[in-house]
Amino acid sequence: MARKLSPEADFDRRMLIMMGVGGTVFATLVARLSQLQFLEADYYKELAAENHIRLVLAPPERGQILDRFGRPLASQRQAGRVSVVPERVSDPQATLAQLGKFIDLPDTRRDRVLQEVKNNRIRRAGFVPVTVAQELSYEEFARLRVHAVEMEGVDVQMASTRSYPRGRDFAHVLGYVARASADDLTRLSEGRSPDEQRTFEELLRHPDIRVGRQGMERFAEDWLRGRPGRRRVVTNAHGRPMQELEQDPANAAVPGKDLYVTIDAELQRAAIERFAGESGAAVVVDVSNGDVLAMVSTPAFDPNAFVNGISGKDYAELRDNPMAPLYPRAHGGVYPPGSTFKMVVATAALESGVVKPSDTVRCSGSYRFGNRTWHCWKKGGHGTMDMHNGIKHSCDVYFYEIARRTGVNKIAEVAHKFGFGETFVLGMTGARSGLVPDPAWKQANRGEPWFEGETLNFGIGQGQLGVTPLQLALMTARIAAEGAPMTPRLVGLGPEDEHSITLDAPLDKDIVDIMQSGMYGVTSEPGGTGYRSGDLGLGGPRMAGKSGTAQVRRITQAERDKGIRKGVNIERELRDHALFVAYAPADNPRYAISVVVEHGESGSGAAAPLARDILAAAIKMDSGRTPLYSKRADVAQPPQASDSAPEGDPA
Amino acid sequence: MSREGYTGFTRGEARTATAGSLRFANFGPFGKIARLPWSIILLIVAVGLTGAAMLFSVGWDPVAQAPSPDEANLWRDQLTRLGIGFVLMIFLALMPLGLWARFAWPAYVGVIVLLVLVELFGVMGGGAARWLKLGPIVIQPSEPAKLAVTMALASWYQRMMPTGGQAPPLWVHGGALLILLIPAGLVFHQPNLSTALALAAAGVMIIFFAGIAMRYVVGAIGLGIMAVPAIYTFVLKPYQRERVDTLIAGITGQATNGLGESYQIEQAKIAIGAGGFSGRGYLQGIQSQQEYVPEQHTDFILTIIAEEFGFIGAVGLLTVFAFLFVWSFRVAGRNKSWFGRLATIGATSTIAFFAIFNSGMVLGLLPVLGMPLPLISYGGTAMITVMACFGLILSAHLHQDEKLSSRGLF
Repeated sequence: MARKLSPEADFDRRMLIMMGVGGTVFATLVARLSQLQFLEADYYKELAAENHIRLVLAPPERGQILDRFGRPLASQRQAGRVSVVPERVSDPQATLAQLGKFIDLPDTRRDRVLQEVKNNRIRRAGFVPVTVAQELSYEEFARLRVHAVEMEGVDVQMASTRSYPRGRDFAHVLGYVARASADDLTRLSEGRSPDEQRTFEELLRHPDIRVGRQGMERFAEDWLRGRPGRRRVVTNAHGRPMQELEQDPANAAVPGKDLYVTIDAELQRAAIERFAGESGAAVVVDVSNGDVLAMVSTPAFDPNAFVNGISGKDYAELRDNPMAPLYPRAHGGVYPPGSTFKMVVATAALESGVVKPSDTVRCSGSYRFGNRTWHCWKKGGHGTMDMHNGIKHSCDVYFYEIARRTGVNKIAEVAHKFGFGETFVLGMTGARSGLVPDPAWKQANRGEPWFEGETLNFGIGQGQLGVTPLQLALMTARIAAEGAPMTPRLVGLGPEDEHSITLDAPLDKDIVDIMQSGMYGVTSEPGGTGYRSGDLGLGGPRMAGKSGTAQVRRITQAERDKGIRKGVNIERELRDHALFVAYAPADNPRYAISVVVEHGESGSGAAAPLARDILAAAIKMDSGRTPLYSKRADVAQPPQASDSAPEGDPA
Repeated sequence: MSREGYTGFTRGEARTATAGSLRFANFGPFGKIARLPWSIILLIVAVGLTGAAMLFSVGWDPVAQAPSPDEANLWRDQLTRLGIGFVLMIFLALMPLGLWARFAWPAYVGVIVLLVLVELFGVMGGGAARWLKLGPIVIQPSEPAKLAVTMALASWYQRMMPTGGQAPPLWVHGGALLILLIPAGLVFHQPNLSTALALAAAGVMIIFFAGIAMRYVVGAIGLGIMAVPAIYTFVLKPYQRERVDTLIAGITGQATNGLGESYQIEQAKIAIGAGGFSGRGYLQGIQSQQEYVPEQHTDFILTIIAEEFGFIGAVGLLTVFAFLFVWSFRVAGRNKSWFGRLATIGATSTIAFFAIFNSGMVLGLLPVLGMPLPLISYGGTAMITVMACFGLILSAHLHQDEKLSSRGLF
């Protein structure tokens, strides 16, 4: 039949066929539209609504760190921050050049910002602002606020940031916070379930979140961090917030808890000022309970510089500074204790029973043992010394003799009783144990037997012996407390310290009394090495103490003969460290202190006045009075917040 | 329909006839322009303006309640292209069919040469060599190929159609197939599957309307269906196979991984479905305004129409397209020359193929290929090609009684 038609007629017939085909296609498309937009419309409407609601992580406010009287040491501060929004900037280079007129903008930072702007655009996250500068000064902030409108895509805002209002004062105690690094993520998310870990990582990566990297900030990370919340937010496909929805209070962020340290910030300040630029350390301990009231290590660094990332150049400057500001001297500095160790030796001698307090030793200025001669610090000698005078005059010969009689093992045992060789973490980082040497240690570490001559050195606090200023302060506090057990603390109200050490080895009260009288003699009896420092200048209370001079290196015979080993004739780095330990008031001890003045040369000359003034300040300020947190302790604390957020999708 | 007077011109006579019809004075200076089907042209422009309006919506920032600076140029660019396309369409519409026919073979040969040059020296982009760089000019020969192949095929049948009401012999159709397959093969090899398919669709429609016997049509369809498994296994690339798999999973309602290919389709379906019957309103589509649908300014622009104007808007748009295609087919039917008829069929089929394939793929009925929605999707080349096709159709309408020689066309 088709054959009979002309092509023209066939064309018309085929047109009809094609119209039919086209009509079928049209009907199919309309049918599909009906299916999607009538039959399944409700389903897809629901999907569309779910699609755009995200639970966005709301970062918690980090808890404050306060001193014992509630003075803020680390807090959240509102600071000016300028950023650029990539999607609102057409020429980032030009915008940054404009910004450069108002703020200091080094090339490296400029490049980093440009790179980040580019990355955000590629990720279609052009709405995520890129921080150009933080911690704007008030003047910068005010000027930028005014001029922001003239610049494309520039955003000037206040943002919450960690701040250390007392700067350097607490650098070594508190440490600092920083943006979480890959290491921090691994370290902090250890032992979490995979589900928790996801939220946790999301939290740690949040631009407003910092984690404790050093010191108390690191130790109390979980306590301070708080729990993130979830905000219901309408977002677009790229995660850009479009609209806030009504919030569920149960999903609000729980701020971190405040942490109290036992330190009195004003005493700390006074102690640092008293150092007047010298390097060294001072630790003040409350004799009644072992609370650390001041913990000074100077010079120090400014932890504020670390919060938003310190530049490599600035860090190198700190690291290579000859005064070593990064070095936590108070709990991580190991020094030979020198004569401040003599109370330990005396206690060991009395405990062992081989020496009685009244036993005398004649000091001629030197002491012969084997084929070597040991010298007393006083060239002409002290004459006849009993124990009280031995301590008071710090007679080396007396201690050579009683140390030899007592033996190294007994001295080491008593040293451990006082806490030497222990690591007192107290919630800080960088604490060290020092070293109490004994024959077993020497055999194991040096492969040599103990020479008896070393016991003599041990007797005057020299040789391998190394202690921290914190340990010295605790030793003094135990003597001042008549041997009462003591748990040193730095965290007043905060997380449990699992490294806590209680010093409760029994000390004989009679022996301690002899130490106290010796120390009183040092500062308050004519001829005592620290006689001039005994009066605290408060019209009554006196301090009792013991000086010490720690050799930085051995004195050569030639130097001894010439008598040139002090002052300007010797380079600073080689000068002796000056030490002083003391407690006050002498008749009713409340505060114990240790002071190390590096290269201060003379314990009684350089360190004793500091100890006196700091103790006087502690008494004047009544630093040991009831702390704020013990009044607040009966107020119910919020329940321990876990740091896992309520369930939410990882936006 | 009388066919007398269509043949027997000498070469010179054909020229005279062509030149004569060029003179506007025949109908007064603006007679031809006045005789253009302005209601149809207005409809075409209206669809184009709808596209620009939808691109404005794509570039809208619902938070700022203002056009987003990044995407503010979408609709302006599109309006510019629409303007250029409009002028081109009117210009082409005024060209008599004789002139179109005269350019058919030079255009065809030129396109083949360019396609071969692309094959040899083409600039790579997106995994395919589609562009040719001639100094500062970058051309994509597969675009003019759409019109050139249509014109060449129409011209071939104009020359070969026997007089006296007889159907052309089979070898004529074979020749047409060859004319079609050379450029289609070259484009397919670039690879540019969507353009190759569009060429093939237009060519097959022309051969169909030129009167190839029905048994071959039925046979070809049968063969095609049988070849589907073989094509799937041996011809398709892995990513293309994945698209087909996604498509089948989507139609049969199986779960997909919601990523990549299926993410786009899934989000498109959500946008369309969420529009419901009457839509969420202009600039109000939550799915669209929050940029959940990838490529919403180009291939997936139908989704924002369906979401913001609902079933009414989507079906309305499809109806307007259907009306334009039916009108164009009737222009083909009314034309007195085989060139005019078949060229109109080819041009209409090209546009219709894009419209149907695009809707089908956005609605999840066809695999995702780079197919723009004619007149609406953002893009310059597609706009020019579609406007040129409409120009040819309008020319066929304007010159429906023009006599064309069967000679002198080579």
